[in-house]
Amino acid sequence: MDKPMIRIHDLATDKVIDREMTDEEFEAFEAEQAKEAERKAEAEAKAAEKQALLDRLGITEREARLLLS
Amino acid sequence: MAKQTFSVGQVLTAAQMTSLQETAMGGGAASAKTASYTLVAADAGTTISMTSTSATTITVNTGLFAAGDTVFIQNLGSANCTITAGTATVNTASSLALAQHESGTLYFTSAGASTFYKSAGAVASSGGITLLSTTTLSGSSTTISSISQSYKNLYGIVYGLSYGTSNNEFVMLPNNDASSAFFNGVGASASSTVAAFGVNAQSIWLTGNPTNSLRTSTENAWTFEIQNYTAGSLIPKTFNVNGKFRDSGNTFEARQFSQGGIIGVGAITSLVFKTLSGYTLNSGTVLLYGVN
Repeated sequence: MDKPMIRIHDLATDKVIDREMTDEEFEAFEAEQAKEAERKAEAEAKAAEKQALLDRLGITEREARLLLS
Repeated sequence: MAKQTFSVGQVLTAAQMTSLQETAMGGGAASAKTASYTLVAADAGTTISMTSTSATTITVNTGLFAAGDTVFIQNLGSANCTITAGTATVNTASSLALAQHESGTLYFTSAGASTFYKSAGAVASSGGITLLSTTTLSGSSTTISSISQSYKNLYGIVYGLSYGTSNNEFVMLPNNDASSAFFNGVGASASSTVAAFGVNAQSIWLTGNPTNSLRTSTENAWTFEIQNYTAGSLIPKTFNVNGKFRDSGNTFEARQFSQGGIIGVGAITSLVFKTLSGYTLNSGTVLLYGVN
């Protein structure tokens, strides 16, 4: 499988290099993606929980904010 | 005087001798340019003098010069003039961009390789701002590396960003250090649907959680500052980010800002721009300035 491309602009030479990630970079990239997917899932679960609560109360988010202000 | 090829028995004129003397003393007439220019073989040994109010380039191609040839380049214009490697290699220990009244010597080590020696004294000790680079965003990340350490602060403008796949945080990571670096501060958003810039994270977020953001809008734009960027990791650096992100739900611009401190990062020599999920950056430009 092709690895993702990255761009490096080296200001010492003003050269722009487009290349595939190295194995080491790709490993770090995959680890970051796994961490990000976990963070996103947590955020989505929290949003769903919040929406379920609003639905049970029968009010909108804006009305909930008004209540708490 | 341009580099000459003399023949046996040739008689030199007084004008040629005067010109040669001027060149030997580092002076002589300059070849004036008012727009971007590509060097030609006859430029060997001469001075190229750029005068333009718009950004220009001096392009260096291979096969035109011999080892030992030099070209002196000066910028008298108000906009930057950048020495650009065309088909030849151009090495330098500093920046290839010449601000107004800066200069340098291009020295060829072979027909296809040269080194640019920027003249000293070019960096203003106070009150100056210099465009260091113009970088087009591309790939799953774009890194600006070898950032000059000759300034006090960095100032940047990011505009025209669009990226693929799905909405995600667009971030900036000094020195690509996501393990020891930490950025904390405060952030806010003027939009009810686009969240504030992220703070207390391991990268500087240019967008908050962009659930409702229009990631393909080329109207998205930010400015950022990093103060004291050459300081070691134990000395505090601070950052400011201001910007807007088109809100797809409400078709207005979500204005956002964040300010904070940078902890655990040594002297900043590179900046990485990416989304947290590594989505492909389809367009966008970063202008990076050094400020004294």
